[in-house]
Amino acid sequence: MPGRECEEALDRLFEYIDDELPQDELQRIGAHLKTCPPCEAEHQIKERIKNLTSRAGGQKAPEEMRARILESIRSASA
Amino acid sequence: MSDTVQDFDFETEALSYMDQLYAAALRMTRNGADAEDLVQETYAKAFAAQDKFTPGTNLKAWLYRIQTNAFINTYRKKQREPKRSDAENIEDWQLAAAAEHTSSGLVSAEQQALDIIGDDDIKQALDALSEDFRMAVYLSDVEGFAYKEIAEIMDTPVGTVMSRLHRGRKLLRENLKEYAAERGFTDKRPAAQKDSKGGA
Repeated sequence: MPGRECEEALDRLFEYIDDELPQDELQRIGAHLKTCPPCEAEHQIKERIKNLTSRAGGQKAPEEMRARILESIRSASA
Repeated sequence: MSDTVQDFDFETEALSYMDQLYAAALRMTRNGADAEDLVQETYAKAFAAQDKFTPGTNLKAWLYRIQTNAFINTYRKKQREPKRSDAENIEDWQLAAAAEHTSSGLVSAEQQALDIIGDDDIKQALDALSEDFRMAVYLSDVEGFAYKEIAEIMDTPVGTVMSRLHRGRKLLRENLKEYAAERGFTDKRPAAQKDSKGGA
């Protein structure tokens, strides 16, 4: 059964991964993950999915759209 | 001089975010034509409102906020999202956290399943989320915005951002598991028995 430390770590895992925790909590949870393989496994999966998701961007703006926008901005500033 | 107004070159500075805004627009609208219209509308609105932007503050977040508003006002109406059944005001993700303390055997199976997940699967899984979840996850995972910035962009409290991230990521993970399971199942069968629809 997960203990209180596990509950806290799992509850804060996204904030831990997203670097949204104050330093003391970050360290406390980091220390727990080092000693608790099930929590660490969950951490790794969440981090892995975040890394996979980070590749969902990266498409380049189509050139005609870029030209169209540039033209409308230039004609508006003229 | 400390009190001279800092010069802000809209064309150079704002246009440098066009690729990012377009990529985000693609995930927001889920189609190329609407994404182009949305980015164009974003720049027209940003240009008209440039006096309201304070040079030296976060231009990227400002543009994302304009684009998000434009998306909500223009495209949400015409896109006809299915009604959200997963009411996000019920904060049960906190209760669910302890259930994630699964056996490491199950977790390592999931780790292995993630090996066969490709970029198209991720996009598909993201596109399957309702728009608030999809945008929160995108802004955090792809753009790396802080919760506070996402809250400003989506005009919502930080607690709601966290809730959307928890729920959105949970659903995304379930979608990915399904894709992997489908793929795994198909691939283990003899070639003759495979049907043709898994050929994406």
